[in-house]
Amino acid sequence: MASSAAAARRLQFLHLRRHGYLLPKLHFSTSSAADGLDDGGGGGRVKIFDRDLKRRHRDRAAWAIRESDGFVDAVAENLLDRLEDCRKAFPSALCLGGSAGAVHRLLRGRGGIEKLIMMDMSADMVRKWRESENAAGDGPETHFVVGDEEFLPIKESSQDLIVSCLGLHWTNDLPGAMIQCKLALKPDGLFLAAILGGETLKELRIACTIAQMEREGGISPRMSPLAQVRDAGNLLTRAGFTLPGVDVDQYTVKYNSALELVEHLRAMGETNALFQRNPVLKRDTALATAAIYQSMFGLEDGSIPATFQVIYMTGWREHPSQQKAKRRGSATISFSDIQKQFGPVEN
Amino acid sequence: MRRTAALLSGHGGAGGCSIPSSLADVLVCPLSKKPLRYCEASGALVSDIVGVAFPVVDGIPCLVPKDGKLLDDHQDKPGDSSTGVSSG
Repeated sequence: MASSAAAARRLQFLHLRRHGYLLPKLHFSTSSAADGLDDGGGGGRVKIFDRDLKRRHRDRAAWAIRESDGFVDAVAENLLDRLEDCRKAFPSALCLGGSAGAVHRLLRGRGGIEKLIMMDMSADMVRKWRESENAAGDGPETHFVVGDEEFLPIKESSQDLIVSCLGLHWTNDLPGAMIQCKLALKPDGLFLAAILGGETLKELRIACTIAQMEREGGISPRMSPLAQVRDAGNLLTRAGFTLPGVDVDQYTVKYNSALELVEHLRAMGETNALFQRNPVLKRDTALATAAIYQSMFGLEDGSIPATFQVIYMTGWREHPSQQKAKRRGSATISFSDIQKQFGPVEN
Repeated sequence: MRRTAALLSGHGGAGGCSIPSSLADVLVCPLSKKPLRYCEASGALVSDIVGVAFPVVDGIPCLVPKDGKLLDDHQDKPGDSSTGVSSG
């Protein structure tokens, strides 16, 4: 683990550590580790994900996407539900990649959005959204931009709300992307994001590992490293958001077979885009994975469950009107007086 | 993929219409975060500081750094009169 500093600084690499001794070249060592020793400014230059490949994945997803996807809709709904908890209205909003289509579809006037900008890396995906927006014909004034979350082309202090639904976990520099989001927000603007967490697809991870060990005698990274829940709070604070909030939801989706699961991942554009991936997946290994998945995790009715862990993050750009803790030592009342006033604590 | 190609060629003509001002106001260069200038001649958004033109395809601005085209200084100058940017 030559790159342990870089690795720890970014996100937690999962599960592969258990079998780490099998695959010395797996770790993000050599040149990328040297690159990782950056000046500490805006995150790392370590390239973990192939953004160009992810862009092509999303082009493909634009055609394969489902009209309404139960899992994605549940996440988008949960995310947008938070807008109803805010008394503030958000006239201008930016909706970033991932499942922004579902966000737009389910918005239904929440958050008082008057002007919405939808952005994605994939031009095909953006065009698809525009078609469905034209078909729906209602909702706020919507604009479309092709852009990269890692290079946010949005003016500083121009947005009231930034929503990112299941997109940011593919950024190489998540803290950097979040800092850019914070800068694009107006003071007292809200940042809402949902990303996939480390428990996601643990069944598939296990099945892939076993199948590869069995058939190929070693493993290669088939799944991307994902953020852990404990990282999410740090990410928000590091990006400089105030009043950070993190919560986690776990969804279990049932599929008829592992192949259907992979189909679904393709339709969501969530397939492997690691730089260090093995571009060859042998048919033998793929079938073994499906079989192992079925035998290890299959349910009685023949379906297989897949776990998706979603981390929801909320943060605000700072503003004088927000509540904050008082300075240490500035209290003028003793706690024992308060206790006397309100009576003893019942336990 | 064939379908993709067909639809792409169907929609994506060169040039494209200009972008609404309410959108243009909030867009900046993804690299320098400085304002962009819309170039009528090429139908692209130009970032003068880094000297890159970002295409507008079918009314959708493409602001991914890799989509940008590096500009020749000589070609760029006559496009607009309001630029006071010195190159280099």
